[in-house]
Amino acid sequence: MRGPRLVVNLVLLVVAVLFVAPLLWLVTASFDTHGGLAAKVPGEATLGNFGQILNWEVGGRPLVNGLLISSGTAIIAVVVAVLAAYPLSRFQLRFRRPFLYTILFTTGLPVTAIMVPVYGLFVRLSLVDSLWGTTVFLAATALPMAIWMCKNFMDGIPISLEEAAWVDGASSLQALRSIVLPLMAPGVAVVGIFTFITAWGNFFVPFVLLLDPDKMPASVGIFSFFGQNGLVAYGQLAAYSILYTAPVLGLYLVVSRWLGGGFSMAGAVKA
Amino acid sequence: MWLPPLAPSIVLLGLFVAGPILWCFYAAFTNSALSGISARRPKFVGIDNFTTAFTSSDVASSLWLTVVFVLLSAVVGQNGLGILLAVFLQQRGKLLRGIVGTVVVAAWVLPEVVAAFAIYAFLNAQGTLNEVLGWFGMGQNWLYTAPMLAVVLANIWRGTAFSMLVYQAALSEVPSDLVEAAQVDGAGPLRRFWHVVLPVIRRTVVTNLMLITLQTLGVFGLIYVLTAGGPDNKTRTLPLLMYEQAFKFGQIGYGTAIALVLLVLGAVFSLVYIRSLKAEV
Amino acid sequence: MRARTIAAGLAVAALTLPLAACGGGDAASGDAKTIKIVYRNYSDFPQMDTFMKSVKKEFEAANPGITAQLTPVSSLDSDYLAKVQLMQRSPSTAPDVLFEDSFNVNADAAAGYLLPIDDYLNKWPDWNSQFIPTTKQAGRAVDGKTYAVPMGTDSRGLWFNKDVFAKAGLPTDWQPRTWNDVLDAARKIKQTQPDVEPMYMPLGKPAAEAMSMQSLEMLLYGTPTKDLYDEKAGKWVAPSKGFEDALGYVQTVMKENLAQTAAQAEDTQWAQTQMPLLMSQGKIGFMMDGGWYARYWEPGGVAPWADWSKTLGTTKFPTQNGQAPGNVTLSGGWTLAVGASTGNADASVKFIQTALNKENSAAIDVACSWLPVREDVKADSRLAQKDPTEPFWSSLVSFTRYRPTLPEYPQVSNAMDVAGDSVVNGGEPAKAAQQFAQDVSKAVGADKVKTG
Repeated sequence: MRGPRLVVNLVLLVVAVLFVAPLLWLVTASFDTHGGLAAKVPGEATLGNFGQILNWEVGGRPLVNGLLISSGTAIIAVVVAVLAAYPLSRFQLRFRRPFLYTILFTTGLPVTAIMVPVYGLFVRLSLVDSLWGTTVFLAATALPMAIWMCKNFMDGIPISLEEAAWVDGASSLQALRSIVLPLMAPGVAVVGIFTFITAWGNFFVPFVLLLDPDKMPASVGIFSFFGQNGLVAYGQLAAYSILYTAPVLGLYLVVSRWLGGGFSMAGAVKA
Repeated sequence: MWLPPLAPSIVLLGLFVAGPILWCFYAAFTNSALSGISARRPKFVGIDNFTTAFTSSDVASSLWLTVVFVLLSAVVGQNGLGILLAVFLQQRGKLLRGIVGTVVVAAWVLPEVVAAFAIYAFLNAQGTLNEVLGWFGMGQNWLYTAPMLAVVLANIWRGTAFSMLVYQAALSEVPSDLVEAAQVDGAGPLRRFWHVVLPVIRRTVVTNLMLITLQTLGVFGLIYVLTAGGPDNKTRTLPLLMYEQAFKFGQIGYGTAIALVLLVLGAVFSLVYIRSLKAEV
Repeated sequence: MRARTIAAGLAVAALTLPLAACGGGDAASGDAKTIKIVYRNYSDFPQMDTFMKSVKKEFEAANPGITAQLTPVSSLDSDYLAKVQLMQRSPSTAPDVLFEDSFNVNADAAAGYLLPIDDYLNKWPDWNSQFIPTTKQAGRAVDGKTYAVPMGTDSRGLWFNKDVFAKAGLPTDWQPRTWNDVLDAARKIKQTQPDVEPMYMPLGKPAAEAMSMQSLEMLLYGTPTKDLYDEKAGKWVAPSKGFEDALGYVQTVMKENLAQTAAQAEDTQWAQTQMPLLMSQGKIGFMMDGGWYARYWEPGGVAPWADWSKTLGTTKFPTQNGQAPGNVTLSGGWTLAVGASTGNADASVKFIQTALNKENSAAIDVACSWLPVREDVKADSRLAQKDPTEPFWSSLVSFTRYRPTLPEYPQVSNAMDVAGDSVVNGGEPAKAAQQFAQDVSKAVGADKVKTG
């Protein structure tokens, strides 16, 4: 069995190299004074690219705005999705499957398709240029996947535990909070991270729904490094990309460590 | 009883997702525009937008490109590589699992713009890939010579983590005594996978396919940064065509009709998957 | 059952709200004390932000009690347009004063987004005595009313590298008379300097409007067909011999490898990143583009190049066979307009009058390397000091032409891009021109086209 084992290890290493290769450029260019498009050891190493972007206007406020929007989105989506998942998981509802599939279909539509009516709606609700409004909208668009995943995680928790609690006189909500939630905490974390990451990368929604440049998140800010009639500052773009990626990567690492080394999707995806 | 917990989702989804989509159904039958006279007075134009769409070679080619993109990058690429990685990683050492897992997931957690620009730089004529291939005299501008391949590879790179994580979870739930029994019977690894493991995780496969298909149908930013739909519109999938019509030319009505075509395409894919689930069970 | 009824009620309520919201009719913001100024701010275009901040100060000092609220939109050109048009759709978010491409004035006026300001302008002495009459076209819509005040204009022609030309044995006071003169120069450069790309012109899908306006329309207007839109007949000219010839020019350039490669043309970043750099390194012989490149090569610009004004020459682009008027150029430019739903039209117009008085108009033209639209600014010595080629580009305005910026122009322009892009990638001009005619007829209606 040594032969196949070696082959498998080799395949895995090749895949790892291929996956990491596009990322190398981000690192090398960010430390290079004259960064081009190819990954190479910086001829003239520098921290200048980071120095250029580490100020409140460029590297500070947009990240804070992004954190506010994305964590708000994740919290709202998780709370609402867990609530919705409860009846969908625990009751025999005739419309359950059509409901789940219908909301899932909508994830196939790029959000650009609905931004015109959404903008009109935001005007009517006086939510244009509101961080709250943008956050709630992002949470709503994240709900289909969040509900789907939460429902499946909840299905994995035996109902017998709650039944015992009901016998002791607990209400459904109490049972959900004290028994189901702690057991599906890893699942909730996965849904939260998934939602956070999606919101963190979303450019078009905050760009359209916010007006004040001081409220724009990092996903919009990064576009200022793409020149239109001038040269792109590759070094700064790469440095900013790293700064902008660090929070999601950090969050992912912390949570997956907390989950015991695995970012488990166990049960998240079932029919 | 079941309503109160569902109410917040119904309100949020109704207000911010279903409502705007319904508006799209209405707008698709008008000549609504971002500017010009029809911005002030949009007119009902019946099914004009749809007849234009279905007789337009643009929509036909975009529809075809979208199907190709979904089949190659999601169904074959992400799904196939995801299951392969999950299986291969099953009994590896912690170190290898950690390295491969982290690297694959890293591409997935990257913000879309960063991922898109990183892969743009990688595939560019002056990029890393060509530097390396240049040593073997094989350098070329991939984004130009093989644009569809480039965006497909980019989407596989970006999205495989999701399938891998899903299959890792599913495989961990396959009873090990079943596999061992098959091994005792003398079944090789391939047969064991085909006859023992696959039937157990079949539902996960189908559902995963449905999720990644829907996610891939809506891919916009990645392609937009890589090729902007070119060259010669060879990578202009439906989301790019829709964006072009609705925001570049301000033709909201027509752009929305294209979005609906996309929605129908998603429904068709999903129905196929759901059917196959019912047939199996 | 009650629960289901309530659920249905909730769903219906949630669904109908956005529909109602899109019915429009929401009142104007109507705050007369604050006017909202919307403009584009970006790393490649920081001048406008600096300019607006200083105008705001001057305006608020002169008009106590009124606040000019600056709302910069950080984005590329194309996204700016989409966002601004969304903002204009709703009176409550519509700008009072808008930084607007002259290209959109017609469409936005037809949409009812802009306020006609003839009455205000007629009472403004500067407007009557200083603004150059031809440039006023930029803010006038097809209904004959004026909706915007031009800030500056531009013109297009040829930039050529004298070093490259000398090595190729070409005159350093180059004055091509026909298209063939231009192509022959490129061929000579190719023969003598194989590592130099002979020429650059905006091509390929990523170039979009730059390809249709700066390449295809520049060529088309120099053919006997002369027009893309026949104003007298009120019809678009498609198909036309001239357009097919313009595509033929592109085909020659591509087939003989005289310009950037098709791969470079299709690269989404190349024209913005590599091209200006190659130009400054003497790797491109000449380019057919706008006169505004000075600002990129100046110290502090994005591609500083100390010797640019010594190395580069400028010359006019010829007509196809040298027929009258001998040369072609096209102009665009940016304007300031007043939003139709403004709560304080007086203050908004006053803001524009402050922003475009003699001093400020000169300041923004100098900062952006725009050509002046005021007679008294033309004389400003800073312009030629900063950019020695400015008098040349300014001289082209006397015979310049504007695009037919009717509301359906973006679609016609796109049809041109599709045709041009297919030729860049090896398509046949005749077939592309035929497709172009079909696309135009579909976009504007068969009764609004004529053969030329």
